[in-house]
Amino acid sequence: MLELTDVHKHFQQADGAVRVLDGLSTSLAPGRSAALLGESGSGKSTLLHLIAGLDSADSGRIVLDGTDTSAFKDADWAAWRRDKLSLIFQNYHLVPTLTVADNLALQARLAGRFDGDFYDHLVARLGLSDLLKRLPHQLSGGQQQRVAIGRALLHRPALVLADEPTGNLDERSSAAVMALLTELVREAGASLLMVTHSPAMAAHLDERWQLTNGRLETAA
Amino acid sequence: MRRLLSVLTRVLLTLLSHYRRHIAQTLFLAIGLVTGVGLWSAVQIINDHARASYSEADQLLGAQASHWVRARDGAGIDPADYIALRRDGFTQLYPILETRLAVNDEPLWLIATDLLALPRSESPLGASGGDWPSLVQPPYQTWYPPDLAADFGIGPGDTLMLDDGRQLPPAALQQQPQQGRRLFMDIGAALAVLQRDHFSYLGVGELSSAETDRLRRALPNHLQLVDNRQRLDLTQLTASLHSHLTAMSLLAFAVGLFIVFNAVRFALHLRRPTLHTLRELGASSRMLSVAVLLEALVWSALGTLGGLAAGRALATLLLPPVASSLQSLYGAVVGTDIQLGWARILLAWGITLVGLLLALAWPLWREAQQNIRQARSASDDWAADRQARRWLALFGLLLAVAALMLHSRMSTVTQGFVVLGLSLFAAAFVLPVWLASALRLVERCLPEPAWKLRWALRDAWAQLPQVRVAMMALLLALTANLGVETLVGSFRSALTIWLDQRLAADLYIQDDSLRLAAFTDHGAAPWLVASHQRNGVQIRWSGRPTLIRGLNTNAPDSRALPLADANEHLQDWFDGDNDWVLANEQVHHLAGVELGDRVQVDTAQGPQAFRIAGFFHDYGSPYFQLYLPYATVERLWPNASPEGLALWLSDAPDAEQQAESALLAAGAQPGDWLNQNTIKRVSLRIFDRTFAITTAMNGLTLSVAGIALLAALLALHQQRLSHYAHWRALGVRYREWLLIVALPLALLVALTGLAALPLGALLSSLLVHDLNVHAFGWTMPLQWQWPPALRLAALTAAVLGLTLLISLWQVRRRLPLALKQLGEDDA
Repeated sequence: MLELTDVHKHFQQADGAVRVLDGLSTSLAPGRSAALLGESGSGKSTLLHLIAGLDSADSGRIVLDGTDTSAFKDADWAAWRRDKLSLIFQNYHLVPTLTVADNLALQARLAGRFDGDFYDHLVARLGLSDLLKRLPHQLSGGQQQRVAIGRALLHRPALVLADEPTGNLDERSSAAVMALLTELVREAGASLLMVTHSPAMAAHLDERWQLTNGRLETAA
Repeated sequence: MRRLLSVLTRVLLTLLSHYRRHIAQTLFLAIGLVTGVGLWSAVQIINDHARASYSEADQLLGAQASHWVRARDGAGIDPADYIALRRDGFTQLYPILETRLAVNDEPLWLIATDLLALPRSESPLGASGGDWPSLVQPPYQTWYPPDLAADFGIGPGDTLMLDDGRQLPPAALQQQPQQGRRLFMDIGAALAVLQRDHFSYLGVGELSSAETDRLRRALPNHLQLVDNRQRLDLTQLTASLHSHLTAMSLLAFAVGLFIVFNAVRFALHLRRPTLHTLRELGASSRMLSVAVLLEALVWSALGTLGGLAAGRALATLLLPPVASSLQSLYGAVVGTDIQLGWARILLAWGITLVGLLLALAWPLWREAQQNIRQARSASDDWAADRQARRWLALFGLLLAVAALMLHSRMSTVTQGFVVLGLSLFAAAFVLPVWLASALRLVERCLPEPAWKLRWALRDAWAQLPQVRVAMMALLLALTANLGVETLVGSFRSALTIWLDQRLAADLYIQDDSLRLAAFTDHGAAPWLVASHQRNGVQIRWSGRPTLIRGLNTNAPDSRALPLADANEHLQDWFDGDNDWVLANEQVHHLAGVELGDRVQVDTAQGPQAFRIAGFFHDYGSPYFQLYLPYATVERLWPNASPEGLALWLSDAPDAEQQAESALLAAGAQPGDWLNQNTIKRVSLRIFDRTFAITTAMNGLTLSVAGIALLAALLALHQQRLSHYAHWRALGVRYREWLLIVALPLALLVALTGLAALPLGALLSSLLVHDLNVHAFGWTMPLQWQWPPALRLAALTAAVLGLTLLISLWQVRRRLPLALKQLGEDDA
């Protein structure tokens, strides 16, 4: 269970402070998925960064699986990301020097939770069997994002955070990747919080959260 | 035109704004320029200064004399002979007393003359306001050049105590143009204080050839008129040493250039978006090139100023040991007051500009090949790097072939340095291929579970384009260090063995005027086992100063003479056969004389020929030497002077005490004799001081390579910060990051060190077997020195550790911001 309580975040700019998150509270049950919608600059990515510990909140609580992150230090956040979370970005961010096989296994190995059977299952489900020895730059955008999805799920995280994961893909590939992502997240038993601009992509998920003026509204 | 200039200025300012935002890079570019130019200019300043000093030496008292009057037996000139010659109308004669004194075992030169007797050509001495009445009247004065006085901590009125207990008259600080870096006294005072009764020689002022002939005829039999050839000898003898220093400074400059190349490359890389934007806004690639070249001009001016300031400071530090070495080895008097001329400044600027343009040419050409907004992926960079590696390796191989070809016909020092430079740069250019291949090979040998090591190795392989220049600089520095350390180590060890053999006697009596015939009769003194009286004369032979030495060929040290080569007639020489001569190997290597060849030399009885029976090692000597039986030298060169006496003492516990008593009884003064250990200690101290500059240059070159590595790593980490942020987002711990970044880097440094080992051996072999022979004319056994190699490995590891720690600190400092920005480039 992901729980956010009264989270505040502001940025200092030349013309004064901008409140990006203004007492935001919400929760996401295990195995559920939510799309985070909002205009550009509304704070969607910031919220993702706060949950992942890439940035720190001014105040408020973030709790995942009963662990309160309020007193986390840098090393705790790194362990948190390695063990509990995974991140999927628009630009895939694979390690360019590692093969597909090594990229897929990377986070699971870092977390010490590499499961060979699940690895084989994911490789088959993601259609990467013939690409395992290739380097990332030898793959198409859709293929790279499939590797990133596999990497994000192999260590069975509690929560997957995805920031516009299909933003670089065409419509057809986006739909295919999206379908795979939601299916596999469900199979892995993880929750999914995904930032997107696209109502079509959001429609794949269980909940839709609209971020407006630093607060969340649950969309229909 | 005005519009064009205005656009160009705007473009230039836009490009330069980069340095304001990237202080570390600016700093490294400046450090590269300043250290490279600084090391190069320091040596140039020293060389210029030394050469200027040699010219000044021509102005020194006695040096301007067309001829000298010297005693044939080397015992000096009796003042009565001088007075008689002056009475004969030779008023151009003036007396000189030149002597070497010792203070705390440090040599110190004193020159004395009669100011009133100096001819007009020598008149500046004493005419510059010096208090000459105080000089010639008791308690007399000793004039010290101010820098020499500072070296000895002497102030006006102070008196200096010599090692033999004698005290010099009170000091006055005076810098006379003809005094050089020597103490100056009135000759009457010098004779009194030093208890001498002879002048060293008489200087002869301007004389017509008729007057010269008349003087020659007027000289009593025991005196002779000799030509003054000091200046020619000094320039000739020291040329090789200065060539060595120049070569080392050029190497340091090249290593500095590698830093500049790296810094410029990173600066251009980071400004790629700016360059593209400027091109989109209408700046042509030609205009951008001109702007970058103007930027180079600005940097070269700044680098030259900083480099010359650093070079001057460094030269000031290094000059005293170099000056001492030149004085100890060649008797060259070099002052320590440095002047920096406009010619040197302009040359430094020119060489910096050329260096910068060389560093800029390749990155700029690559940039010009790019289309606007052409995205470059990592794979593009790797492909480009693969191609660059191949070109570099090909170029390196060409250089190696050129080095091999030149080596086979190498006959001069300059050619030797060219071969050396070609070999070093050939190795540096082939290094990237060696590193890439070795990394690939190691990676293939790793088992499947070693995924972290595999990641680390692949990461290192991918970073090769960024670190290869730093590795090349490191290779040059390590190779130079190993090569020169091996040379110096081999030289020191050969010299130590040689001194042990040559200085086999227990006591050496130096006082030439002392007649010590009593000591040659061994039976007369129970404490004496053997003695060896030598005599000698300096002549010119085969265009070089040559020492003819008379030896007792059966003395213990003659029997133990370390020979480089000999023929079957060596025994004839030991038997005292007048037909055979032993020569130092300089005669073989520099004059091309072979065993059995006849050498003809001028003697008092006309030209005389001898055959070469062998060549002996004579480490570090700038002179030719010919060894003949004592009696032969005495017969053929009646002016030959005694060159000291070596005494072998018995094992009796009080033998040394008895010997000293006997010496004092024979009229010797304390300080006239030295024991074996003192001579060895002094010789090795002179040696170490001579190579102090080499050690300093080596250390500095390695520091520059260390800076190159640090600069490359910091720039690389800055460039890769977003990668590291992604790694951290995956949960990579710092220790894992360090393993992935540090281990391969350590491996790269180790592989570079591994390549430096055979290269260092090759370099030392070239230095010892080729360059040393061409430059100095002597050989020595090459001894690989492990202690300096291990010291160097430890030092390199320390430099690597330090650079990694600084990198880690930088990354930890910057990573939080990079994490916050993670994903921003995705939008």
